[in-house]
Amino acid sequence: MTKDFVKFENVYKRYKMGEVTITAADGVTFSVDEGEFAVVVGLSGAGKTTVLNILGGIDSCDEGKIIVGGKDISHLNKHDLASYRRYDIGFVFQFYNLIPNLTAKENVELATQICNDHLDADAVLDSVGLSERKNNFPSQLSGGEQQRVSIARALAKKPKLLLCDEPTGALDYNTGKNILKLLQTKCIEDGMTVILITHNSAITPMANRVINMRSGKVISNVINPNPLPIDQIEW
Amino acid sequence: MKEKGNKKKALRKNIIREISRTKSRFISIFAIIGISVGFFTGVKSACPSMLETAQRYFDDNNLMDFSIISTIGFDDNDIDAIKKLDFVEAVMPSYMADMIVSEGDVDNVARIIALSDKNSNINTPMLKEGTLPQNDGECLIESYYAKLSGTKIGDTVKFTSQDNSMLKNNEYKIVGIADSPLYVTYTRGNTNIGNGSISFYIIVRPEEFIPERYTKIFIKTKASQSDISAFSDEYKNMIQDESDILEALSFDCIDRFNSETLYDAKKKLSDAKKEFNEKKSEVMQKISDGEKEISKGEKELNEKLAEGQKQLDDGQKEIDKLKNELINARNEYNQKLSNAEKNLNYAKTRFENKSAEYNKLKSEYDINIKNIQKSLDDAQKDFQQKYNIFYKQTKPLFEQQLNSLQSKIDFLNAQTEINQNSIQTRISLGLDTRRLESKIQEYQKDIPKYQKQYNELSEEFSVYEQEFKNTEKQFNEAKQNLENEKNSLSEKLKNAKNQLNSAELKLNETQAEYNNITSSSNFDIKMLETEVTIGEKKIKQGREKLESEKQKALEQLNSAKAEIENGKTEANEQLSQAEKELSDAQDKIDKLNNAEWYIYDRDDNPGYSGLVEDAQRVDNIAKVFPLFFLIVASLVCLTTMSRMVEERRTETGTLKALGYSDRDISSKYLIYGSTAGIGGCIVGGFLGVITLPKIIVDTYGIMYMLPETKIVVSQADFFVSSIVAVMCICLVAFIACRKDLKLNPATLMRPKAPKPGKRIMLEYITPVWKNMSFTSKVTARNLFRYKARFLMTVIGVAGCTALIVAGFGLRDSITVIGDLQYVDISHYEQIYALSEAGTAQEKNDVISKFQNDERFDNSMLSYMGFSSNVNSKKSNTSLNSRIVIGENYDDFKRMFTLRDRLTHTPIELDDSSIVIDERMSDVLKIKKGDTINIKIDEIFYNCTVSGITENYAGNFIYMTPEFYKNITGDDIKYNVIVTSVTENYKNNQHDIANDYMKYDDIITVSLISEQVEAIMSTLDSLNIVTFVMIFCAGLLAMVVLYNLTNINIAERVREIATIKVLGFYSLETANYIYRENIILTLFGAVGGLFLGSLFTGFIVESIQMNNVMFPNIVKPVSYVWGFILTFAFSMLVNFIMYFKMNKISMVESLKSIE
Repeated sequence: MTKDFVKFENVYKRYKMGEVTITAADGVTFSVDEGEFAVVVGLSGAGKTTVLNILGGIDSCDEGKIIVGGKDISHLNKHDLASYRRYDIGFVFQFYNLIPNLTAKENVELATQICNDHLDADAVLDSVGLSERKNNFPSQLSGGEQQRVSIARALAKKPKLLLCDEPTGALDYNTGKNILKLLQTKCIEDGMTVILITHNSAITPMANRVINMRSGKVISNVINPNPLPIDQIEW
Repeated sequence: MKEKGNKKKALRKNIIREISRTKSRFISIFAIIGISVGFFTGVKSACPSMLETAQRYFDDNNLMDFSIISTIGFDDNDIDAIKKLDFVEAVMPSYMADMIVSEGDVDNVARIIALSDKNSNINTPMLKEGTLPQNDGECLIESYYAKLSGTKIGDTVKFTSQDNSMLKNNEYKIVGIADSPLYVTYTRGNTNIGNGSISFYIIVRPEEFIPERYTKIFIKTKASQSDISAFSDEYKNMIQDESDILEALSFDCIDRFNSETLYDAKKKLSDAKKEFNEKKSEVMQKISDGEKEISKGEKELNEKLAEGQKQLDDGQKEIDKLKNELINARNEYNQKLSNAEKNLNYAKTRFENKSAEYNKLKSEYDINIKNIQKSLDDAQKDFQQKYNIFYKQTKPLFEQQLNSLQSKIDFLNAQTEINQNSIQTRISLGLDTRRLESKIQEYQKDIPKYQKQYNELSEEFSVYEQEFKNTEKQFNEAKQNLENEKNSLSEKLKNAKNQLNSAELKLNETQAEYNNITSSSNFDIKMLETEVTIGEKKIKQGREKLESEKQKALEQLNSAKAEIENGKTEANEQLSQAEKELSDAQDKIDKLNNAEWYIYDRDDNPGYSGLVEDAQRVDNIAKVFPLFFLIVASLVCLTTMSRMVEERRTETGTLKALGYSDRDISSKYLIYGSTAGIGGCIVGGFLGVITLPKIIVDTYGIMYMLPETKIVVSQADFFVSSIVAVMCICLVAFIACRKDLKLNPATLMRPKAPKPGKRIMLEYITPVWKNMSFTSKVTARNLFRYKARFLMTVIGVAGCTALIVAGFGLRDSITVIGDLQYVDISHYEQIYALSEAGTAQEKNDVISKFQNDERFDNSMLSYMGFSSNVNSKKSNTSLNSRIVIGENYDDFKRMFTLRDRLTHTPIELDDSSIVIDERMSDVLKIKKGDTINIKIDEIFYNCTVSGITENYAGNFIYMTPEFYKNITGDDIKYNVIVTSVTENYKNNQHDIANDYMKYDDIITVSLISEQVEAIMSTLDSLNIVTFVMIFCAGLLAMVVLYNLTNINIAERVREIATIKVLGFYSLETANYIYRENIILTLFGAVGGLFLGSLFTGFIVESIQMNNVMFPNIVKPVSYVWGFILTFAFSMLVNFIMYFKMNKISMVESLKSIE
């Protein structure tokens, strides 16, 4: 297990809104080890999404260094960033972002077809418990099922890092719990490094590492030696 | 109120934000509406602009309404009469003449026009350079020709025409360059001199013209002074009425002329004729007197000559007698001589023969003698030898032997005797005798032996001797023989010699005789010869004398004759001159008798009616094409607006929940749409109007000599198209809003569920679906997912492709006419107008001239008439048509192809019906078997149509001469000769035309090639219109595609952002969207090709003119262009959109669904 698999060093991100400059990431520094289940918590506007975007290669930073798996991604060009997203990152969206016109399996295939080294779509869907619904269109699936497809799509690429942006935000309690369970299982069983952002600090006990952010700054980075299984967490 | 104001303010802000937020959509609508309204208005304004430009030019330069020419010219009375008419504003009497101007080898015809006078100022020339002519011998030259020929101010125009009855000067100095409003095109019309067509015109002061009577009158009437357009029907009607009045006036004027001027002229003529006849008879008398005298002198001379001749002849006779004698003497002499000669020759021959004989004998003799001598010698020699042998050898030998034997015998005998004697003695002595006796016996015994031997030898010798004696005898005999022979030969030779000698003697005798004859007879002959020579010399002298006398006399006679002849020709010339003058005067009077006024209006100006037609043609195109344009544009805007309303569904719900009224909410879209629409209308309309009419009119300006284009905005078209376009948008927005507004706010605020994915038909065709790549599957499903978008895009693209194809198709349909008409249909190159129409018999001489000219493939007497008001019961329209009748049907078929357009089945003419062209049948709504009314010489005839033939330019009615006779009752009088020129001379048509223009029978020549050029140049200008169309269609296609792609991308921002997050590279992302776009474009483009062919049909139908049929033809290459251009635009749009797509932030994917 590589230590400091993900490493943020003094990362700044500023948005200019007219004459006002908002500093969304204000010298963010933290690191996550490989295979950890890290949760970034903070209130709305704490800068956690910014961090996730930068980490996911969908946004760039103005200053600082981001190292993922020994590779500095802070100065990658557009194309290399796309490659980075393609091969290294799995992204789980709050609103699933499935292509409505593709079946569950096809949505997974959309991801696998661009990767050389990928998992079998059917197998991934089986592993997220959707064996029966592979050929359904997103509109025919419930929210939880859709999020499972979304996770399957992210996992199918065999990413080094799974980034989840409020994956339970649009789901009800139980479904959300199931999704978190799935993610935790993937982390534990497959050794997947998972970084999850949420505003719900109640789920932090399930994480190996909890990063607390406020106003674009990391205010704490705590390692939880004994993460609880999600079933034991109530909120 | 304040509240309302605030509310409005918030709404207004919302609208402004909306616009700035969806700039590309706004601009798309703006541009689509702008382009189509601008295009429509612009093209629609071209026609009025063109006409207005022309109208202004005509107004500014006071273009006449009527020009009148007359066979008798005009005088001031006529002018006054016209001036009195109430509709006449101004009258300008004027002149006109055509003159030949040579430049190098080229004979050009110049038309000389009189400068407009200061009072009426009709047809004021537009001075471009220099000054108006002020002085004697100055002129203006037209600008086009000046430019073409490089003529400058200061140059001169010099006439080579001999006719100096029209103009004072033969040379005019150019003082200015100006254009007359009479000529709006570059056609200058026809004339009856030179090559038949006018090359340019010059303008001189009216004072330059010699004729007393005006040759032309220009009239300006109320029709053009009023505000109405010169191109309107109103103007035409007024002109028609005025024309009728003028025609009525013309009869009065002609009557007056007949009663005044003509009466005087007739009287003068008859006086002159009388005088002429008197003078003529006088002159004739004089001539005949002179001729009589001459003939008398001639007779005398002939008598004298005859006498001299006779004397000479007598002398000659005598001489001839002498000559005869001489000849006789000569003959006699010759006879004698020849006899002597003969004798001599005979003697000579004989002598020669004898001589030869002798010589032969002699040589023979010599040889023989020689031989004989030789034989003799040989014999002698032989004998001598034998003799010698005998006498010297044999005989002595024998004699010796004989002698020895004798001696032996003698010895024995002697011995015996001795012994006997001894015996005797012994006996005597008695001695024994026996020994002696034995001895004697012995002796005795030997003697016989010897005797015998002796005898034998002697015998042998005698044999030898005998032999020798024989030989000797033989020899002597032979010798004797030879000697005899020798003698006989000698005798023979001697004989021959004798004969020869006698022959020689004879020869000498004859020779002497001959010599005698030759020497004696010559003298007589010489005497005679001398006599003859002297006589002949005398005769010769006599002859010469006579000849010289005769020559002298003849000279005198001839000079007298020549004098008379000269006098006669002179007299004749004078007489014929006088006669010609008289007949000219008679002709003039005859013409004056049948005087007529020809009243022309503006339409008769060269090129004037073409201007109207051209304008009309552009307008016709503008009728349909931009309409399609507008339809496509509206369709695209419509879908754009309905999309927009749909997108803003949540907002609508929110506003509704907040309590805004339906009107307020929908006003947003109405305002959005109408702002874009109206803005587009204004900007597009403005741009369209300032560019298109100018481009189009300027293009036509190349053919027309018009001043700077004056743009007239077709306001009605602008407003109608604008209102239609804006209404379309607003109505759609309103309807879409209404649909949403009916729902309750809660439903509206809930995001409309994304359209669920669905299996498409293709998926059930498992083998196909399975074999498709993943991306193809995605594309296929996406295509069919949004059926509306699919349809909208396909229709939009199809519309644009169709417009482009239609643009090209229109161009094809227009440009193909020339080839179709003048390659497939008409096969003649020239039309020679006969100065007088006549029947086939009457025109036989003229046509045979053509038919014998190898430069023509075909020449045919034809009738080409013109029927106005051709009409049918089925249609209210009437039109003008040519009537064509060919004298020879075979020739006719070679020069006119009559066939069905579609099947190309030939159509035959018969003697009971006519064949008309297809356009006429369309206009008159005539089918095969129907009847139409045609006008021949002002009489209408109802004719059955038996065939409708393919034809593009002009209207034609074809019939046979027999049919003509059947309906009119008259024999057809042919007025033209139609010819087709052989391939080799196709380029020398002007030369041929020039050759034939020299004949009085031919009045003008029209070259089809020039007509084709004229037609094609008009149609070429139409090309620019089609190019404008193609360009605008392309522009529209681009905006439409941009808009559609823009909508497509806007709708799928989230999807695009998502796949970007998934790690799609830029190009992959673009392909994800473009694959669909390309397929949609493909569908649209293919559909557009079909639609384009339909469009072309519509447009071509709409630009059809009464006398031109445009075939509906779209060349394959046009489809290819339509397809390629659409794709090119699509690619360009995709390229632009690539950047836009790149800009889509992936952060979008994280946003919640609105």
